[in-house]
Formats: sequence, C-alpha cells, structure tokens
Amino acid sequence: MKISYLYEGLLFVLLVLLQVLLLSRIALFGIVTPVVYIYFLIKLPIGRTPFYVIISGFLLGIVIDIFFNTPGMNAAATTIVAAFRGPIMNLFFERVEHDEFVPSIYNEAGAFIRFTVFIVSLHLTLLFFIESFTLFNLVNTLLRVVTSVVVSVALILAMDSLTYKKKSGDQA
Amino acid sequence: MRNLLNFIIRNSHWLVAILLIAFSFYLVFSYNSYQRSVFLSSANRVVGWCYTATSNVSSFFHLKGDNRRLMERAAQLEQEIHLLKAELDHLTATDSSKVEAFVMDTMEQKRFEFIPAEVVNLSFAGPSNFITLNKGALHGVKPDMGVISRQGVAGVVATVSNNFSMVIPVINPKFRLSAKLKNSDNYGSISWDGREVQQAQLGELPKHEVFQPGDTVITSFSRIFPKRLIIGYVSDMGESKDDNFNTFNIRLATDFYSLRDVLIIRDSFYEEQKMLEEEGR
Repeated sequence: MKISYLYEGLLFVLLVLLQVLLLSRIALFGIVTPVVYIYFLIKLPIGRTPFYVIISGFLLGIVIDIFFNTPGMNAAATTIVAAFRGPIMNLFFERVEHDEFVPSIYNEAGAFIRFTVFIVSLHLTLLFFIESFTLFNLVNTLLRVVTSVVVSVALILAMDSLTYKKKSGDQA
Repeated sequence: MRNLLNFIIRNSHWLVAILLIAFSFYLVFSYNSYQRSVFLSSANRVVGWCYTATSNVSSFFHLKGDNRRLMERAAQLEQEIHLLKAELDHLTATDSSKVEAFVMDTMEQKRFEFIPAEVVNLSFAGPSNFITLNKGALHGVKPDMGVISRQGVAGVVATVSNNFSMVIPVINPKFRLSAKLKNSDNYGSISWDGREVQQAQLGELPKHEVFQPGDTVITSFSRIFPKRLIIGYVSDMGESKDDNFNTFNIRLATDFYSLRDVLIIRDSFYEEQKMLEEEGR
C-alpha cells in the first residue's frame, strides 16, 4: 500500500520531468506535441478515492503549468479529466477486481488501449482548446489534437510495455 | 436534511472538482494575456449586443415623440420654403417686368441660379476683409460671381479652389459696385472707407441727388448682380472727395457679424455678356 503511493509519487516526478525537459520541446511538423503526463492518471490504482484522483490531477496540471508559465491551462484540463476518470473507468473496465488494480496493457490490453485513447483524446482536446481559446482556426486546432493524440497514445503504450516487468513484480 | 447532507458528502468530490476547475480557469483568464483578451472581447461583444437590443426596444417607445417632432420640423421647413420661394420670385421676377419687359419671365428666372453656401471663415479685423465659403469649383463656383446674404449683397467671389471660394465682401476697400437709390435713376458707386463694418459709402452721385434717411440702395446695372438687389439703407450725408459729387453713408443690409448662410449667384449669360463687351472695346 505504502509502496504503491511511493511509486505514484515517483511516476509523478518522472512524468513531469519527461514532459518538461524532453517531450514539450518536440514540435513535429510544427503541430505535433506529445503530451504523456496524463499517463499518471491512467496508471492510478482503480480504488483511489475521487478526492485523491482530483487533487492529484490538479497538482499534476499546476506543476506542469508552473514549468511552462501557462497558469491554469494544464490544471483545468487535467482536473476535468481526473473528475471524470471514475465514470470513464467504469465504462471500459467492467470487472473491478480489487482496489489496487492498475490498468496495464498486459492485464487487459483491449480495454486499456481504449481507455488510454479516450483519456488522452479528452485531455488533449481540452488542453488545445483552452490554449487556442477560439474556434477561429478550428481546422488547425483539430489537426493538432488528432495528430498529438496519435503520437501521445503510441508513446504511452510504449512506456507501459517497458514498465511491465517492474509493475508485474510489484503486483506479484 | 440528512438526505441532502448525504448527497453533498457523497458528491463532494464533484464539488472539489468544480472548485478546482473554476480556480484553474480563473488562473487562465487572469495570468494569460491572450486568453484574457479573448474573454474580455467576447464579453464586450455580449454587452454590446445587449445594449443594441435594449436601444432597439427603447427607440420603439420613442417613435411617437420622434414622429411628432419630425412633423413639426416638416411644417416649419415647408413654411420656410414658401417664404424663400416668395423671396426668390421677388428677386428674379420684379426686374424682368420693369427693365426687360420683352424677355419672358421664365427666361429671366433661368438666367440666375443660386448656389447655397456656408461661411467657414470670415475676417473683418483689418482693412482687407474676406469671407471664405465652403463651396468651390467642384460646385460650379467661378471668380466674379456675386454673393448675397438673406438681407442683401454680401460680396463677390475673388478666387476659388476645388472646395472653397474666397469672397471679397462689400466691406473691403477693393470692392466696387454700381448702385442707385430705389426711387431715383442716378447711378453711383458703392465703396468702403474702412472705418465701420456696417457702414459703406455710396459715392459719385450727382450733386443734385437728394435722399431721405432710410432710402433703400439697390444695385443698378452690374455684370455680377441681378438688378434691384438691396445693398443697404441711406443713413446720412458723407464726406465727398471732391465738390462735383455727393457721397452718402449707407447702412449695409447684410449683417456681417452674423453672416452664416449665403447664396452664390450664377449668371448663365455672364460669359456671353463679357465676351460681347470685350469685343466691342
């Protein structure tokens, strides 16, 4: 129990550093920006209370905002995603096994991929629309959302498959 | 009550979420200049739309009063038109019956056209006074056209630009105009001695010419003005330059202090007459 909180904290810091130091400096073709820190919300154990999820989501967003000097934008997007995480999870994972169940590509591959796509799409749609804050350049914004979702989901799935051994060891 | 409390406790995470989201958006709008500007401008658009809507509604309620005011104004203008028409008829028709009896009235009326103009600048501080009007060559104004006020002769156009014209008024030492007393046939010349704005001199009159104070001074033959235009009213005997002629002081009909709207006279026969007279010379 305590160890899993520790891992969550570690994941939080690692994801923020990865996002801030590496991924956000990438702008493929000028529009594609991989955004993977939301992986933290995907990997939270299913039994976490809504309070915990919402507060940690807000903290995640506000930390990213502090680094990017964009107060509120990422925080708003991640807080909304965190608030709806529970209902969305119920949508994709029908069997709730135990509180410490962590979604992974190795235990429920199909559900996990769908869940990831949904969460990342929601998050990036919110984020980019808060960022552009207008429907003026709608096509460009939508293009950014779609391409970034594709790249981000691919990165998250790759990361998840890399961390399998460690995670499975923890759970075992 | 207990149910309500339970409901609140059960859904408190939503409350927290809403609070945090609201806080995030507060941060977005207060610390990001772009988002703030978008938010403010759209808010302004909403406010502007509200104002337009309310003014549309309120203007509907004012329609009755507006209508009444417009009707009053229309009646007033109608009356003014009648007055001006009568004045114009008087100005144009009277002389045709007397001097050019063989010319048809319609022709005489067509001879003179009036271009309404407004005074934009006026000086009578020094001896070389001038008036600037807001009509110029684009409106058909040419040099040597006469300018009259509502009361009488005002001056003669000296130079024109596209949109303005400069007028030499009666109260300028360069101004000369042939004139006579209304009930006499002897011609004299109007000039200004440069002393008083409302007073000019009618000189070069025969020695035997007599006057009653208040006699009307009108234009006689002139290339510029129609005949029988009022110039002013005799006030008293003036100083003559030499003993062969009489000079009268006249009070000018035009009030230059309050000069505002004037008419520029376009004489359609001006060029023809000028050419003929220059050929004959």
